[in-house]
Amino acid sequence: MTTIKANPERNWAILFIIPWLLHTLCFLAYPLFLALKNSFLHLNIISPHKAAFVGFGNWILAIQDVNFWKSLFNILLNQAIFIPCSLFVGLLFALLIFELGNKGVFYRIVFFIPVVTSVPVAYIIFRDFASTQGPIQQLLVAIGILSQPVDWAFTRFLPMPIIALFNSWKWFGIQMLILLGGVYGISKSSIEASCVDGANWYRKMMSIIIPQLKPQIVFILTVNIINGLQMFTEVFIVFGSEGGIYGAGLTPVLYLYDIGFAKNNMGYASSIGLLLAIVIFSLTSLQLKLTNKDS
Amino acid sequence: MSKEKVFKFVIHLFLIFSLLVCLYPFFYMVNNSLKTGMEIMNYPFNFPEKVNYSGYVQVFSELNIVRLFLNSTFIALSVTILNLVFNSMAAYSLEKTQFKYKDVLFKFILFTMMIPGVILLIPTYIFLFRLGWKNTYRVLIIPGALSAYNIFLFKQFFQQIDNAYVESAKIDGANHFQIYSKIILPMAIPVLSTVAILCFMGSWNDFMGPLLWINDEALYTLQLGITKFRSLIPGTNLQTIYASITFATVPVVLFYMLFQNQFVKAYTGVSLK
Repeated sequence: MTTIKANPERNWAILFIIPWLLHTLCFLAYPLFLALKNSFLHLNIISPHKAAFVGFGNWILAIQDVNFWKSLFNILLNQAIFIPCSLFVGLLFALLIFELGNKGVFYRIVFFIPVVTSVPVAYIIFRDFASTQGPIQQLLVAIGILSQPVDWAFTRFLPMPIIALFNSWKWFGIQMLILLGGVYGISKSSIEASCVDGANWYRKMMSIIIPQLKPQIVFILTVNIINGLQMFTEVFIVFGSEGGIYGAGLTPVLYLYDIGFAKNNMGYASSIGLLLAIVIFSLTSLQLKLTNKDS
Repeated sequence: MSKEKVFKFVIHLFLIFSLLVCLYPFFYMVNNSLKTGMEIMNYPFNFPEKVNYSGYVQVFSELNIVRLFLNSTFIALSVTILNLVFNSMAAYSLEKTQFKYKDVLFKFILFTMMIPGVILLIPTYIFLFRLGWKNTYRVLIIPGALSAYNIFLFKQFFQQIDNAYVESAKIDGANHFQIYSKIILPMAIPVLSTVAILCFMGSWNDFMGPLLWINDEALYTLQLGITKFRSLIPGTNLQTIYASITFATVPVVLFYMLFQNQFVKAYTGVSLK
């Protein structure tokens, strides 16, 4: 007892950190241990006592699994379209709103509304909206871009690009506000100097403002890589758990869900989850390394 | 008009046009919720011929949306409160008390942020399934009760609070719990609101959690309920789906409008006036 009384400071510190400690043990450390252990088992949730040790069997299957690599390809394709697209729209609106000064506040507030709506709601609207009878396709046919409506959810290559475009609508508001925050942070004198020099708006943006937004752009890229690769709800709502007829809407997390929950093969799903985590981790590190090198 | 003014006028025109395009899906949603199913299928763009409230009536009679709403609210509020308490406590410990290995611990907490959540999905499910947590509220609350990112946000904010407050309170005989609850928390309203918004919105909009854990209709959340409902409803009652998603969206948008500065701060980390 004497030692405890001797250090009340430390006791308070421990008391305050205990909830975090318990939570981390239960919902991080233990699941991580289970994930590793289960990846070597053949396991389903209904009869866990029948779990069988299969060594590296799941890992070998996962690495050779065509569907896993396809789902990875799909999500990379999706992100390769989504990231530049939402960044471009966000940047364009941020720069225009900045130009308007105080009169731009209204636009900024309204453009953010899609961000606060839920993914299920957005995708329930989207499914009807982008269907063959929906407004988008009717418009494209009317102005002659499409000769007839396309049932894109049942094609081989259209699902991911179209989801990427819709997600750009859903999320560009975040990109816009982060960049807008960046623009307001740029010193007024450097912008004014360019005005005195007589640079036009386009030159001012390209040579003065955009280069100074690099920290914000790096931040956006990092966050998108981590979150984007874990896409689930969007594709689940549009394509169901198998990702559409050609698996063109399959993402890694959807695949994981399909194997673990719809097909009830938890051991194999654990290997897929670990493999995916390794991929995400390496991509994030690679991307951080590349962007750090530039500066 | 000067060149400058013309330029600004063009920007306004472009932004207003973009705004209409951006909001059209929401208009489409509300508009369709007031039509009949046949009208929606045959004339998706038209205004309702005669305003029809049957969608909203059915949302209450067949979907039991009040129950869904209360479930979502209860879960989201619980997650929010637990996060506010536990994360701020952890951050207080890391920032305003002295103990060995404090910095190592903080680095470890930052490191846990790097672990992709997907890795935990299956094992957490197995673990909690065996505990019998399927079809409970707590399974949607307890695992999300703390977050390393929120600890980080709190710690950053507490760093800016002068240690002199803590020291002088100690001299006056206050213990750490009193300092935390009476001095630090009241000064931390901005970060409390940031964390509250992130947690509430995250939990409220969560779809995967309820999908995995809940198949008892009495425990359905709003997001799960409306998604399940969509696959059940016949085409002639399409207006009911639109009514249900309108019902799910309007409160969130109003809430955002009221606290838009806090939302911006929470989602992007930037504060705009």
